[in-house]
Amino acid sequence: MQWAIVIAAFLASAVEFVEAFTLVLVAGITVNWRSAIVGALAAVATLAVIIATLGVTLVTLVPLDVLRFVIGFLLLLFGLKWLKNAIQRYSGLKLLHDEEAIYATRVAEARARGEPVKTGLDTFGVLLSYKSVLLEGLEVAFIVISFGGSGPNGIGLAALGAAAAGVLVIGAGTLVQAPLQRIPENTLKFIVGIMLTTFGTFWSGESFGINWPFSDLFLLLLALIYLAASILLITAMKQLQSRTALATTSPKTTTLSQK
Amino acid sequence: MRIILKVILAVYNFFVGDLVILIGVSLTMVILALIHSLDALAPLRGGSGAILIVGVLATLVATLGREVMRPKA
Repeated sequence: MQWAIVIAAFLASAVEFVEAFTLVLVAGITVNWRSAIVGALAAVATLAVIIATLGVTLVTLVPLDVLRFVIGFLLLLFGLKWLKNAIQRYSGLKLLHDEEAIYATRVAEARARGEPVKTGLDTFGVLLSYKSVLLEGLEVAFIVISFGGSGPNGIGLAALGAAAAGVLVIGAGTLVQAPLQRIPENTLKFIVGIMLTTFGTFWSGESFGINWPFSDLFLLLLALIYLAASILLITAMKQLQSRTALATTSPKTTTLSQK
Repeated sequence: MRIILKVILAVYNFFVGDLVILIGVSLTMVILALIHSLDALAPLRGGSGAILIVGVLATLVATLGREVMRPKA
């Protein structure tokens, strides 16, 4: 019975930790690690205050659905903006963005002026990391309280399971982040746009009481739906661009050939 | 007054920066809220997940469509 509590809390919390860590990773790789870590630590501190103040009554006092709605809505706004920019770049409607080249130029300019290089906090990075860790952290707290209430010393055992899941996910994520850094910037932004839109849809849907099929596994299916739709949109926009280009150049070609 | 407007604009640009996305996502949320609160729309509740996904995709298509139609400078 006691092992059942530890294992159940471990498995359920691992899913939440993976969701939170994914977005921290996104903030770390695409913005900077300082912002991602500050956001995550701030969320952990907020969680500590909430849990220390409310304790077990957390389950009844924190409106998790409201939190899911607000965070889901914001992630949808962010995600669609990123996805739109990425699709525009891939379809040729916008110039491809070479962040590394821009960064190198800025660093060189700053050095030439004798200014220190800015690697400070970025509001977007901090906020993205903060809200995902806060929401998922609260869900882990709910899991610990719900599973822990079913036996003697239950909360301690469930917390042990959750902590083990946290250590495992963070450890695995640390190993994964190095190869992720090698992905080209535009590809990464495209993936991030899809991920933010996926999480935004999932959480805002849950806030309305939508029971997604296959539970959290539906996140993968949602990501595939958005990926397929984005690829279709890129193809359609490329065709539209080439048709427009042909339409604008063909009269000139005709007149030239007539001459 | 000017400072307040600047603050509102800065917040808007940070979170959205695109009116079509804001209107599209908000409209989808309003439709979902109506489906889940009005009894007359209760039969649609089973498909609210699909409605949400379609709303998000329609918003994406609409904002990209506006960029395509926008005259180039």
